[in-house]
Amino acid sequence: MSEAAVTMGGTADAGDVGLRMSIDEVGSRAAAIVQNVETVIAGKREAITGALTVLLAEGHLLIEDVPGVGKTMLAKALARSVGSTVSRIQFTPDLLPSDVTGVSVFDQASRRFEFKRGPVFANIVIGDEINRASPKTQSALLECMEERQVTADGTTYVLEQPFTVVATQNPVEMEGTYPLPEAQRDRFMARISMGYPSPADEIAMLSTRETSSPLDRLEPVVTLDVLRDMITAVSHAFTSQPVKEYAVELARATRDDRQLRLGASPRATLQLIRAAKAHAAMHGRDFVLPDDVDALAGPVLAHRLVPTSRALGAHDRDSGPLIDAIVRRIVGETPVPVGSARRN
Amino acid sequence: MNPDAMALTRAQRAALTAASFLLLVIATMALGPLISGSGWWWLCAFIAAGVLFSGTGLRAIRTPPSLVPVLGLGVLLLLLTLFFGGATSIALAIPTQATFELFGDLITGAQNTIQQQSVPAIPVPPLSFALALGVGGLAVVTDILVQTVRMPALAAAPALVPILIPGFIIEAGAELPTLVLTAAAYLLLLRVDVRVRRRARLAAGDEGGGVATVIAPKRVPIVSTLGASLGLAGVGLLAASILAASTPSISTSLLLGSPSQSTLFGRGVSPFIDLGRDLRRPDPQAAFHYFARDGDRPYFTLLTLDRFEGEVWSATDRAVDGDNTVDAMPQPRGLSQAIATSEHPIEVIVDEVSTTWLPVPYPTARIEGLRGSWFWDRDSLTVRSVDTSTAGQRYNLTRLAVEPTPSQLRNADGPLSEDLSPFLALPEEMPPIIPETAEAVTSGAGSSYDAAVAIQAYLRGVDFDYSTEAPVEEGYDGGGFDVIAQFLETKAGYCVHFASTMAVMARLAGIPARISIGYTQGSPTEERIEGVQRMQVDSHDLHSWPELYFQGVGWVPFEPTPGRGSVPDYSRPGAGEEGAPPLPGGATSTPGATGRPDLDPNRGLAGEGEGAIATAGQWWVRGGILTVVVLLLLLTPAVLRVGQRATRIRRIRRGDRPADAAWDELVALTIDLGAGAGDTETAREFAERIRARPAFEDARSREALVRLRDAVERERYGPGGPARSTDPDAMVADLATTRSALLGDTARADRARAVLMPRSLFDRARRAIGDRAAIRA
Repeated sequence: MSEAAVTMGGTADAGDVGLRMSIDEVGSRAAAIVQNVETVIAGKREAITGALTVLLAEGHLLIEDVPGVGKTMLAKALARSVGSTVSRIQFTPDLLPSDVTGVSVFDQASRRFEFKRGPVFANIVIGDEINRASPKTQSALLECMEERQVTADGTTYVLEQPFTVVATQNPVEMEGTYPLPEAQRDRFMARISMGYPSPADEIAMLSTRETSSPLDRLEPVVTLDVLRDMITAVSHAFTSQPVKEYAVELARATRDDRQLRLGASPRATLQLIRAAKAHAAMHGRDFVLPDDVDALAGPVLAHRLVPTSRALGAHDRDSGPLIDAIVRRIVGETPVPVGSARRN
Repeated sequence: MNPDAMALTRAQRAALTAASFLLLVIATMALGPLISGSGWWWLCAFIAAGVLFSGTGLRAIRTPPSLVPVLGLGVLLLLLTLFFGGATSIALAIPTQATFELFGDLITGAQNTIQQQSVPAIPVPPLSFALALGVGGLAVVTDILVQTVRMPALAAAPALVPILIPGFIIEAGAELPTLVLTAAAYLLLLRVDVRVRRRARLAAGDEGGGVATVIAPKRVPIVSTLGASLGLAGVGLLAASILAASTPSISTSLLLGSPSQSTLFGRGVSPFIDLGRDLRRPDPQAAFHYFARDGDRPYFTLLTLDRFEGEVWSATDRAVDGDNTVDAMPQPRGLSQAIATSEHPIEVIVDEVSTTWLPVPYPTARIEGLRGSWFWDRDSLTVRSVDTSTAGQRYNLTRLAVEPTPSQLRNADGPLSEDLSPFLALPEEMPPIIPETAEAVTSGAGSSYDAAVAIQAYLRGVDFDYSTEAPVEEGYDGGGFDVIAQFLETKAGYCVHFASTMAVMARLAGIPARISIGYTQGSPTEERIEGVQRMQVDSHDLHSWPELYFQGVGWVPFEPTPGRGSVPDYSRPGAGEEGAPPLPGGATSTPGATGRPDLDPNRGLAGEGEGAIATAGQWWVRGGILTVVVLLLLLTPAVLRVGQRATRIRRIRRGDRPADAAWDELVALTIDLGAGAGDTETAREFAERIRARPAFEDARSREALVRLRDAVERERYGPGGPARSTDPDAMVADLATTRSALLGDTARADRARAVLMPRSLFDRARRAIGDRAAIRA
């Protein structure tokens, strides 16, 4: 706690502890961001913190919900609050990969091919209705998410940090949609859903948006540099051995579970710990608690799990509630570690 | 307390029942060293099987669970009626009021037999009944624990009962193989339970489809189950050893009984002292009366003293032989065909006397009509009971009258067999007056018989006076050397002195001798029908007399006491000599008024006076020790828990993961108070839950709780290991604050239970046997 509470500009040196943003400041800044976004989307604190957690943990977010509950609004408000560049891709069946990554065009003047950067070159990329695009286009975006770079005509273009894809997806099956395959869902750090607003929030929304969109009035509360400092500070949050073991134990439990056909991948474990770090830092803690892991187990693990057809049978093909229940059960059953000295 | 209410299948219940049955019957085997034979064990096993498997059957037909134990008790009653109810029951199974009265008698008899029998005890019906009842009761308890409450780990408690009993009685306690077998059976029960539980859960998951209830199979480490079982067996062994060691004075050869408990003449104590006291009492107390034909006036022997060690006469302590039932008693020892014998029926009705020794003439051929279990002694043919007393008895005996002639006795001299030597044993050191007198009296005797007659004649001579008063002083009520020497000086005394003097002098003369204690023939009453006389025997007819052994004749009574009893024909001086006129048979010399014992109406027969008080005292001691031991055992969890808390507070002060220690203590306390959760609750969740209690509305305790929580989180999961900077005193104070807040928030009864029966300890033990789900309420 006694570390220098100085906000340093530019990219923080990962090795230099003294220059890092204090964990308390990460907490207060995060609170400010959440508060700022909340002025636009009322009553969705959980979704907002979830999204910010993913942003701070350098992951990608999948927002799955019915149309019109503010998925895009959330992504935009978050991007605007942190003063980052934002682009939006509306996925349609006829969208091409180059529409996402960019395209090389021949410049008559210089008589060379010139790469025109696509919408993916932004800090926050909103991929709306990602499941409406063809698999080919989907995978183009997903490659960028994993590699954090775009290669076109033999040239590699590194994407600017931070880079976060916020993809939205409709759960309702529609004609002309291509559901994300398991392997690709795995690349998203977390999946959240918005849920309908409460009646009071909905009425409030009607009045605030009567004349203009509040998004237009939203001002950034942190600069992009501050955001980078926050991300650096998050990555340095301490994870004790028992907590690591706990995360692994949770993942292992999903793999062994009788109701699940596919459990959590090692990448899921990694992302669970990363997200837990962000969660801890947002709460002003420089170390991860099992509680952080518990809080994120649902968002981080649920979208990667595939139930057995037998378990699904009773649930009318809608796997969401079933998997949520399984994750809750596994979290409820796995003993909380109490420190390496007492492990037996 | 019933975490898994899911129904078990019949096969699973049967498996659990079989395992509990095995545990119970194997544990019952621990009683083996205490009880002879194995029939009792088969009976117990049958009863246990009946109760346990009927419970399973009742559950199989979906009897309400709360009813099953009640019906189990019903089955037990049915089985007991079948085995013990006999004619009192309807159709051998339905008990009547008479059956219950019979059961009451059996329980009383069992109490008596437990007090009177030595180890190994004969499983007389009352004892078998008590065993069957006990094991049946344990079976019901086991059934409740294993099937109704579904806590098979606790089945160790009923199984420990038979395991512990030998520790109370014999110093060795239960035998090691039995303990090991019991531990193995317990292990098996736990193993079966864990399997059954796991399967049941899986089944419930498949059928119910309730997602949240499905529990993935978990591996249960068999090592911990084994450890728990061995631990419990160890506790049992330890408890038994402690009990045996802490009660050395009562761990004698008796089954929970004190030596002189309600017997007329206790073993190990000189019966003479009691006899002397009885004789000096005023008003006589009716002992018993009997109907016998004219001329049949036997002495009734209660007890025979054969050992003399210079100070006291005592009876050799021989275990009762269960085969020696009184319906057929053997020929008396040493009696040859040449001796005339005749059988005489006598009916005895006991009035007041209550003792475990039955007054019977020596020798008796058979006895009929006795209640309870009575056994004869191989050597003395005395008859004693192990489960009842003479009170209220009415019995018919057939007396074998041995009628040797003096010439037969005189010719009986010959080499004595080796096993008669105890009856000749005398200590080396004795006052010189005794051998001198003996030498003087018997010097002219040509045979053993003549010597015996001479001794009797000497003691019956005019020099000697019968007096219970004569030298009433400390120690004179005995039969030791000092007393005999003094008696030979003063020449006054009563039967005890005459009998012991004659016995010692006979032994000096080379005649095997012993002393019988019992009653003289009593006094005739006016009731007399067709030659059958009713004879009344009362407490001042108590008597002792010597019996001498003659080759080919056996034990023959003599009567050296003047003025008491009757002198046998064959022992009169000059009897059997040519031409001597036969003396009137059965000449009874009634003691004169002066010879009459000084009787005390307020004192009954021995065993009621100081003896009873001493006995009661022993029982107090025994009960006290037992209570203390039980209390200590009950307090063990509380003590362990207090020790655990002290250890944790020491850890806080020492800085050895202090926050962890403080937090563990706090969690354990809430578990003790019944507000615990499983090990899946994080510190933060725990604190949130606890903070919702009214006790934590106070800011001080709330802050203390949060400080403890933050400390434990940082210590367990934070960087840099434990926070050394934490002030231990502050942490102990925080712990005390939260503790008092929690306790203040709890009802008094719950607090008491938390202290006496700390669940955190039990949960820990239960977790050790892989029963994690049970902890999560």
